[in-house]
This record gives sequence, structure tokens and C-alpha cells, in this order.
Amino acid sequence: MNKTKKILSKIFTYVVIVFTIIVSTFPIIWVIISSFKTNGEILSSPFSLPSSINFDAYMYLFEKYDFLTYAINSILITSVATLGSLIIYALGAYVIAKYDFPGKNLFYVLFTLTLLVPAHSRTQPIFSLIMKLNLYNTREALMLVYLSGGMAMSMFILKSTFMAIPKSFDEAASIEGAGFFKVFYKINLPLAKNGLLTAGVLMFLANWNEYYYASLLTTSTQNRTLPVVMLLFNEAFSYDYTLTFAALVIVALPGIIIYSIAQEQVQESLASSGIKG
Amino acid sequence: MVISKKEKTHKIKKINSKKKLFWIYLFILPSLIIFITFYLVPIITVFFTSFTKWDGFNSPQFVGIKNYIKLFKNDAFLISLKNLIAWSVLAMTVHVGFGTLVAFILYKKPFGWKFTRTVFMIPNVISVAAWAMIYKFFFHNDIGILNNLIRFVNPSFNVKWFYQSPYAFWAITLTWVFYAVVVTLIVLGDLMAIPSDIHEAAKIDGASSWQTTLKINLPLCRNAIGTGVICSVTARIAMYESIILTTAGGPGDDTMNIPVILVNSLLDYRYGYANTSGVIMFVIGMITLLIVNKVFRMNDSIY
Repeated sequence: MNKTKKILSKIFTYVVIVFTIIVSTFPIIWVIISSFKTNGEILSSPFSLPSSINFDAYMYLFEKYDFLTYAINSILITSVATLGSLIIYALGAYVIAKYDFPGKNLFYVLFTLTLLVPAHSRTQPIFSLIMKLNLYNTREALMLVYLSGGMAMSMFILKSTFMAIPKSFDEAASIEGAGFFKVFYKINLPLAKNGLLTAGVLMFLANWNEYYYASLLTTSTQNRTLPVVMLLFNEAFSYDYTLTFAALVIVALPGIIIYSIAQEQVQESLASSGIKG
Repeated sequence: MVISKKEKTHKIKKINSKKKLFWIYLFILPSLIIFITFYLVPIITVFFTSFTKWDGFNSPQFVGIKNYIKLFKNDAFLISLKNLIAWSVLAMTVHVGFGTLVAFILYKKPFGWKFTRTVFMIPNVISVAAWAMIYKFFFHNDIGILNNLIRFVNPSFNVKWFYQSPYAFWAITLTWVFYAVVVTLIVLGDLMAIPSDIHEAAKIDGASSWQTTLKINLPLCRNAIGTGVICSVTARIAMYESIILTTAGGPGDDTMNIPVILVNSLLDYRYGYANTSGVIMFVIGMITLLIVNKVFRMNDSIY
């Protein structure tokens, strides 16, 4: 009786695990495999493997469809916005974590409540702001808007990171004559490496993948990012499946690569310091 | 005037702390500017202009609650509300339930648990836009995997998932309902934080592992589950890409959601009306937060 129960629970465990792995990986694996097939192969036999591996579709996208421009835009916008917001939120989270000052709790509550404001509900004011600043259809517009993206999450992660650094370190440095900025820059920042990495990677991924504001605030090829390319493929090339699948791989793969490099760190921080604060 | 030594040190301390305060506010300033520019001012603007007729060029004209009345008389909006309720129920049950189940299974550390945890994240690191497109092809009637699999059993099966009622609603649902890695990660974090003496005590009292799971572990991670519910319901309110790139709200208004209405009215230069739906999104989010807080007793301490 007890034995069958044990076997049953084991079977159940692995059914759930296998199901989880399949739903998470199968769609993207299918897309990657299909991007190497010809249009005819995709239409006639959706389950078969490609008859030959070649990167023609990928080359074609970079040569004929400005994918290099989109990729450069994505890298540029994402890097600037991520680095900028990481510096801004590290400064804010640091003083909230380490010092007492009037308004401290209010600031923290306000900053983290932003998590609950649906990004889309702020569309019109942000759209108008970008128009007023004369930044419509520029890369700077997206850099600026993305600065605000990961506010709540970064505050959660960075605050708990800085709080975990012992105050005695700061005091020791102060006694040796280090000023306020030096204590932050020389003592705390290096020790907060893990939290900074986690918040940075999460914001990088969010910015890299952002579609909504990118599609709304840019209109021309030279300013658009990779995810917005999906709009193009949704309409114009919906019948060239090979090309569309290759485009999907180009958009999706960088995120997966960046995540797999940093995944251990990100998982731990997400679970422990948590979105819960 | 003679200043005593005590007063002197006091004065130096005061100057020091003033200097410190200057640094502190200098550090907080950039975050504050971002908050005011991208959150506070937009929220206030959205709220006030939702009571006006405004095209974005001329100055807004106060019209009272006319926009709200119009919104609640709009069929697309009513369908959005209905969809949102259905999606929220699915989020709270299937989505959070599945995420929690995976967390409890991974907690026992079966073979491959780390690998599972890693790959479960993959759909979340891909652009929602790309993921929507992937599903569009996955469910494609001719080239898609799903229909071709079904056709092994039932050769005459032909469903255009994203274009046919009522399948479109379920096709959209399937693009997110099993991807509950955020829930899994936070619940797993809470499970791992349970002090081992609680489990030892339960064992001494003769609790079976099933009882431990149900009576001890589950209530102890109710905060994480509550957070998971809030995250997944707010994500439903904001669901846009996975709709606009697949069904665009159709067929008819079958898969409408509030952000789709918001963007459509924005592109029509009906800013006041767009902001009315923005306010509704915000209010629904807040109501969700309050209800979940109450139901999961999230403000009470656990240990």
C-alpha cells in the first residue's frame, strides 16, 4: 500500500516535471529547427528535421532587412537605459537601506508602489511628454522611458543587498577619513556586486524585450528595436515562414543567452530577496 | 564668548549631519525625479483628464463623467471586463496553482530539479511579442504543431485558433497560463526559508509528509502565493502584445482587453477617453491588491 503510494507520487512528480520542461522549451526549439527548413518543408511536414543546415535566411535578414540596424539600436538603447537606471536606483536604494532621514519610508513606499501601476495606463502622458521634448521617433525617447521601467523591482533587490552589508564597514571607513561618497563608491558598491548584477540583468532583459513603447514611440527603421520587427513580420512576410522563423530566433535568442549566463545568480536573488521586499 | 567643549563637538556633529543630509538627498534625487516624471505626474494627468474631452492639441474640456458612461456603454469594454474576470480566475486557479505545484515538487529536489527551474524561466526571458508570434505559428492550422498532432487522431480537425470563436479566447489563454515561473520562484523561496525545526516537530508528532505539505508548508507560504496572485492578475490587466499580434482583439471583440481599447483611442486622438480606460485599469489593480491582501492576510506576520 505504502509502496504503491510512493511509486504513484514519483510518477506524478515526473509527469509534472516533464510537462513543465516541454511547455517551456518545445515552442522555441520547434521555431529554431523550422528556421533551417525551406518554406516547402515547413508546409508539408511540420515535424521533420531540416534536410540541410544553412544560415541563408539569417544572412538574408541582415543583408536585406536592416537587421543589423535593429540589433545595434536594441543593444544601444538597452545598454544605456539599463546602466542609467542601475546607477540611479543604486544611489536611491543605498541611502534608503543605510541611513535614517525624514521621508525615507515615504520614498520607499512610493518607489515600490510603482510595481502596481499598469505600464499601459501611463501611456498618454508619456507619449505627450516625448512629443513635447521633441523626441518622438528617436532612440533617446526609448532610453528615457526605459529608465523608469524596473524601479520597484530594483529597489527591492538593491535595498536588501545594501542592507546585508554590515554597517561596521562604513564606520571603519569613516573613521579612516572616507567621505560619504567614498564610503558608497569604495566600500558598498563593490560588495553589492551580486544584487547589482541581478537587478541589471532583469532590467536588461525587460528593456531588450520591450515592445509596447518601442512600437508606439518609434516609426522609422533607423530607430526601431528588434522586438518591433515582429510587427513587420506579422503583416508583410506572413507567408515566408523560413524568414519569419529566423527573425523570431534572432529576437528571442539574445535574451535566452544572457539569462543562461547569469541564471544561477538571478534565480537565487529573485527567490531570497524577492519581489516581496 | 567662550564655547564649551561639549557645545563645540555638538556643533561639529551638526555640521556633519547637515552635510550628510545633503548627500542623502542628492542620492535620492535622481530616483525621485524619475518617480515624479514617469509615475506621479502621469497618474495625476490620467486621473484629471479622464473627466475631459481632449485631443492632445487643444486644451482639455471638462465633461464630467461622460467618458466613463461612454466606456461602460461600449460593448468592446464590457467584453474586456468579462474577459478580464475570466482570465483573472484562470490566473488565480490554473496559473498560480500550477506554479505552486511546481514549487512544491521542486522543493523535494527530485532528479533534474535545477534544470527544470532553469528552463521554466525561458518563456519569461523571451520578448512577449516574439512569444506571441511563436504561439501564432504553433497554433497555425496548416503548419502548426498542435493541429497536426490532433490530426493524427482526428484527420478532419480544422480549427483556426486565433481567428475562430470561441477558440481565440483559449488560444490567448494558452500563451500564458502555464508559464508561472515567477510564482514558482517566490513560493520556492518561502518554502526553503521554513525553519527545519518546524518540520522536525511535525515529524515527532507523527505527521505524514502529505499532512506536512498541506497543513504546514502551504499555509506558511501564503504570502508568496498572494504575491503570485497579485503579479499574475496585474499582468492580465496589462495584457497587450499577446493579443495585438495574434487576434488584435477579434474575432469580433472576443479577445478584447482594456489596453487594446486604450491604444486604439490614443491613436484616434481621444486622449480623455483613453485615460478613462487607464484609470479603470489602475482602479482594478488597486482593488485586486486590497482583496488579495485581505484574503491571504498578507499583513499578518507568519512565524
